[in-house]
Amino acid sequence: MAGKSGRTIAHTQNKSLLKRLMCWESMLVILFIIVNIYCSSLSSTYQINNVLREMPKYLTEVFLLLPMAYILVMGDIDISVGSIVCLSATVACILGNKGLPFGLVLLVGLLTGALCGLINGIIVTKFTELPPMIVTLGTQILFRGIAEIALGSGGSISLEHAEGFRMLAGRVGRIPYILFLVLILAVIYIIILSKTTFGRKLYAIGSNKLAAYYAGVKVQKIRLIVFTLTGLMAGLSALFLTALQYGVNTTTASGFEMNAISMAVFGGISTAGGKGRLQGGVIAAFIIISLRVGLGQINLNPQVILIILGALLILAVMAPNIVEQFKLMKKRSSVK
Amino acid sequence: MKNSKSILKKLTASREVSLIIVLVILCVAIGLRSPSFLTLKSIADMFKNNVVTMIMAVGMLGVLLVGGIDISIASTLAFSGMAVGMLLKRGVITSTPLAILIAVGIGLVCGLLVGLVVAKGNVAPIIASMGFMYIYRGLAYVISNNEWASADSLGDFKNFALGKILGINNVVWIMILIYIAFFILMKWTTLGRKLYAVGSNREAAEISGINASNVILFSHTMMGVLAGLCGALAVSIYASAQANMLYGKEMDVIAACVIGGVSMTGGRGSVLGAFLGALILAIIAKALPLVGIEAIAQNTVKGVIILVVIILNVLTQRSMDKNSLKEREL
Amino acid sequence: MSDYILELKDITKIFPGVKALDGVKFQLKKGEIHALMGENGAGKSTFIKVITGVHRAEEGEMFLEGEKVNFKKTKDAQEAGIAAVYQHPTSYPDLTVAENIFKGHEVLKFGMIQWKEMNRQAETLLEQLNADFKVTDEMGTLSVAQQQMVEIAKALSTNARIIILDEPTAALTKNESEELYRIVDKLKENGVSIIFISHRFEDMYRLADRVTVLRDSQYIGTYDVDGITNADLIKAMVGREIKDLFPKPEVKLGEEVIRVENFSRTGYFKDVSFKVRAGEIIGLTGLVGAGRTEVVESICGVTRPDSGKVFLNGKEVTIKEPSDAMKNGIILLPEDRQKQGLILSWGLGDNVTLPIISKYAKGGFNDTKKERELAKDLLESVDTKAVSIFDKASTLSGGNQQKVVVAKALAQEMKVVIMDEPTKGVDVGAKAEIYQIMGELAKEGYAIIMISSEMPEILGMSDRIVIMCNGRVTGQLDRQETTQERILELAMEKSEK
Repeated sequence: MAGKSGRTIAHTQNKSLLKRLMCWESMLVILFIIVNIYCSSLSSTYQINNVLREMPKYLTEVFLLLPMAYILVMGDIDISVGSIVCLSATVACILGNKGLPFGLVLLVGLLTGALCGLINGIIVTKFTELPPMIVTLGTQILFRGIAEIALGSGGSISLEHAEGFRMLAGRVGRIPYILFLVLILAVIYIIILSKTTFGRKLYAIGSNKLAAYYAGVKVQKIRLIVFTLTGLMAGLSALFLTALQYGVNTTTASGFEMNAISMAVFGGISTAGGKGRLQGGVIAAFIIISLRVGLGQINLNPQVILIILGALLILAVMAPNIVEQFKLMKKRSSVK
Repeated sequence: MKNSKSILKKLTASREVSLIIVLVILCVAIGLRSPSFLTLKSIADMFKNNVVTMIMAVGMLGVLLVGGIDISIASTLAFSGMAVGMLLKRGVITSTPLAILIAVGIGLVCGLLVGLVVAKGNVAPIIASMGFMYIYRGLAYVISNNEWASADSLGDFKNFALGKILGINNVVWIMILIYIAFFILMKWTTLGRKLYAVGSNREAAEISGINASNVILFSHTMMGVLAGLCGALAVSIYASAQANMLYGKEMDVIAACVIGGVSMTGGRGSVLGAFLGALILAIIAKALPLVGIEAIAQNTVKGVIILVVIILNVLTQRSMDKNSLKEREL
Repeated sequence: MSDYILELKDITKIFPGVKALDGVKFQLKKGEIHALMGENGAGKSTFIKVITGVHRAEEGEMFLEGEKVNFKKTKDAQEAGIAAVYQHPTSYPDLTVAENIFKGHEVLKFGMIQWKEMNRQAETLLEQLNADFKVTDEMGTLSVAQQQMVEIAKALSTNARIIILDEPTAALTKNESEELYRIVDKLKENGVSIIFISHRFEDMYRLADRVTVLRDSQYIGTYDVDGITNADLIKAMVGREIKDLFPKPEVKLGEEVIRVENFSRTGYFKDVSFKVRAGEIIGLTGLVGAGRTEVVESICGVTRPDSGKVFLNGKEVTIKEPSDAMKNGIILLPEDRQKQGLILSWGLGDNVTLPIISKYAKGGFNDTKKERELAKDLLESVDTKAVSIFDKASTLSGGNQQKVVVAKALAQEMKVVIMDEPTKGVDVGAKAEIYQIMGELAKEGYAIIMISSEMPEILGMSDRIVIMCNGRVTGQLDRQETTQERILELAMEKSEK
C-alpha cells in the first residue's frame, strides 16, 4: 500500500550545533559555573576539599531526585518520600542497635522503603480516581507517624553500633562513597529515561495517559514499579542519612520531598508531566548543593539560603513562559 | 419505599451530612469513654487550639476550588507571626489591633505574590507556592535574627487570645466571623460562584467573560490574608513567636479540606465541608489521649483516617455508579 | 434601516503565523436560519468567535441592525443580544443547571444571588424547551443533548436576538437531533435569528433558509437552500468535485478471523455476538449510547466484560489490557483522537511507533533509526499531509490526525482493526482518503470493524452491518438487503417503547 500523491515525509532532523546547545541544560551548566565562581570569590575556604566534606548530607537528597524525576515525568507526584526516608532510617537504626548483622540491617532498611513505595503504588494504581498528591499526603503523615511511634517519647535514636554505618560514610581518598554512588545511579537513571523503551513509555504516560494505554502501554504496572522504586531509593537515602547523622529523629528528612521536587523542576522537568530531562535535574541538584556549601562557608544562615533557592526556582519556571510570550508577540508583529 | 431510598441516597450523597454523622458518632463514642471531653471548657479549648487550621482551611478551600493548591501558607504564617513578634519585642508597636493589621497586610502581600506568579506567570500552583514556601520561611528566619519572641516580650498582645466576649474566646470569634463571611461569599455572591466556575471549567468561564486569572489571583490573595492573620493569632495563642512555628502545617490544612470533601481538581467543596474536616482533625487530636491512645500515635491515626476517607469515597462512588448501571434495563 | 439584523464586511483575523479569516462577509436576515458550512479549518469557528467578541478582527466592520458595532469582549456581544452555543458545551459540570443557565448574569438583589428566583426562572425556560430534567440537577450528570438544551436555555435567558449554534447535532442521536430541530424551529417562530455550523447536509436541508460557505479562510458564496444540490455544496466547500466518496473494493472474503460470543457488561451491553471474516468490513451502528463503543472497548481490554468470550482464528483468547489485544493482533483506533488516539505534544513518528517500540528495541534500548524509517514509510503509505515525522500531532487537521492513528495499526502485524467513528470531525476531502485506506486494508485481508453513526458511510463501506440498540444487537444485515429505513428501524427498536 502506498500513498498516491507520492508525498515524501522527512525523517531526519538537521539541527545546527548552535541550536542543540541552546537548551535549558546548557543554561544550567553555565549557571553551575557562575555559582562556583561566585562561591569561590565569597570565601577562600570554598575549595574542593571542603566541598567534598560538606557535600554528602546534601547528596542524600539526590537519591530522591532521580526517581522523583520519573514520577514527575509520568505526571504524578509523591510527597511522602521524606517520611519514607525517616521511617526506613528509624527501622535501620533500631535493628542496627539490636546488633543485627549490618548486611541484614541494610537490606531491611531498603525493603522498608520499597514496601512504603509499594503501598503508595498500590493505592494510586488501584484507586486511579485519586490524585497521587492526596494519597501521598496521607501516607506522608502516616509513615512519619509510624516512625514517631517507633522512636518513642524521646523522639530520637542514636546509633550504638556505628561501625557498619561509618563504613557507608567512608571515602576513597577524599571522595566520599556516596558521591560515586550518586553519580553512577544518576547516569543509569538518565540512560533509562532517555534511551530505553521504559523511559519513552514514562514520557508517553505523562503526555497522555489514555492515549498511552490505548497504544498498549501498561500504564498502571509502570506506575506501580516507579512508585515502588521511589520507596526503594528513599530507603537507600535513609541508610546514608543515618550514617551521616549517627542516628535519626522525628524530623529526619522532613522537607526532602519538596527539595527533590524543586531540584527536578529547576532542572526543567514539568510537574504537568511528559516534559524535561533528568540531565537538567542532576545539574540543578549540583547547582543547589554548590550554593548551599558555598553560602555555608561564609556562615550564612541555612534558612536564608532558602530564600535564594525559592527565588531561583520561581525564576527558572517562569523564564520559559516569559520567553514563550515574547516569541508570540514577535510572531504576531511579523505577520502584520 | 422509593421515598425512603431517596432520602438515604441524599444522606450518603451529601458529604457534609455524612461528615456530621461521623462527627456525632465520634463525639458520642469519645464522650462515653471519657466524659471530660464533652465539657464546655474542653470544647472551648479545642476550638481555641485549632483556630489556625480552621481559618486557613477555608482559605485553602478557595484555592482548591479554582483547581490550585498553596503550600506556602505555613511559611506566610511564620513570616507574619515573626514580624509581629519582633515588632512587639522591640517595642515598635504595642497596640493589638495594629499588630493584627500588620500581620494581615504582610499576608496580603505574600498571597498576592504567589497569586501573581500562578495566575499571571503561568506557573503550576504547587511549584510557585513551593518556591514561596522557601522564601517566606527564609524571611521569617532573617527577621528573627536568630532570636525568638517569648511571652514576656509580647506584652498585652498575648492576652488577646485569653480575652473573651460573651464567654467565647476572641480568636474563636474571629474564626466564626470569617466562616460567616466566607459562607456568604461562596453561596450568595457572584465572586464566590466565579471560584466554582473557574475550577469547574476554566475555558468555559473565560468564554463567558470571567477573567479566570484574576479569580485565581483573588483566591491566593485571600489565602495569604488569612495565613497572615493566623500568624498574629498563633503568636497570641501560643504566646511566643519563632521562625520555625507551625512548620508543615499546610499539610494539615490540605488534609482538613480533603476530609471535608473538597476536590483537589477544583470546582467542588463547601465552606461547611472545610470546617467539618478541620473539626474532625481537631477532635481526633484532642480525643486520642482521652481514649488511651498515646499522643505520639496521633499522626499515624491522622494518616490512616485520611487514607480511609479518600478510599471509602472512591468505593462508595464506584458502588453508586454500579448500582445506577444495574438499574439500566438492556 | 437595514434588511439585515447582522452584517459583517471584509473581516480579517490574524493569528500568530496564519490568517484565520481573510476578507469574509456575511449577512443575516431577520428571523432566518442561516447555515455556515465549510471544511474543518475553513475558519467557521473563528468567524463565530469574532461575532461573539471572543476574538477581535484586525480588519473589517460589523453592523447590528444597520448600526456599526465593535465588541471588545464577550459581554458586549451578550448585551447586544448575541448568544452562542458552542460545539463542546461550555458548561460547568460541578454546578447546577440553573446556575449554568444564569452564569454571568445571575439574579441579584443587594449583590446577593437569589437562588429561589433564579431556579424559578430557569424552570420556566426549560419548560419552554420540554426539558426532562430538573434545574437543580448537576450539569455533569446530564447527557450531551440535555447539556445542549441547557446552553440554549442560557442563550434564551439573555434575551438573545441572534443565537449561534456551533455543530449542534454533532454529538446527538437521531431522536435528539429531531428534538433540536423542533426547538430551533420554535426559536425562529419567536423571531430569533439563527446561525448554525454543521457538517451534516441533513441539518442544513431540514433547517436552513440560506447557507454561506467558507473555504481556506475565505468567503466562497451564499446560496438559497432551495435548489442547491449536495454536489454543488461539496464543490463549493472543497473546491473540486468528489466523484467516488466510497471506493469500496470488491474483496473475496476469507476465513473467520474474530468471533465475539455472548458479550455482556452490566449497564452497557448484553449478549452481543458477531463475527468478522478476513477482508470483511463490518459496520457497527446504532444510536449514540447504544453500547457500540463499549463493546469494542471490552474486546480490546480497555474495560472488562462481565461475561462472554472472544475467539481469534477459532481459538479463545483472554484480553485484559489493550497490550494483550495488540499481542493477539487486535487494535482499537479510538473515537477521540485528541484524548485517546494521539499524544498531541509528540511528533508524528513517535506517535506511530509507540505501540511497537518494545518490539524494535535492543535489550530495552530504543532503536531510534529504525523507528524513524518505519514511521516515515507508514506515514507516507497513508498519505499524511506533513513535512516531517517530527511535526507535532497537534499541528495536523482532523483528517490527517486520523491517518496517523491508522498508521499506528499498520505499524504491527494486525489481524483485526477496529475503528471507532473514523471520520468524525473529518472534512469531506480527507474522508474519501480514509475510506480509500480502509478499502485497501480490507483487500490485504484485515478484518475491519467500523463504528459509525453516519448512514452514508455505513451503507457505503460495510459488507455487513451490525445494528445495536440499547445494549443489544438488534439486527445483522448484509450489504444487499440493507436500506436506510431498515437500519433506523432496528436502531430505534427498543428506545421507542
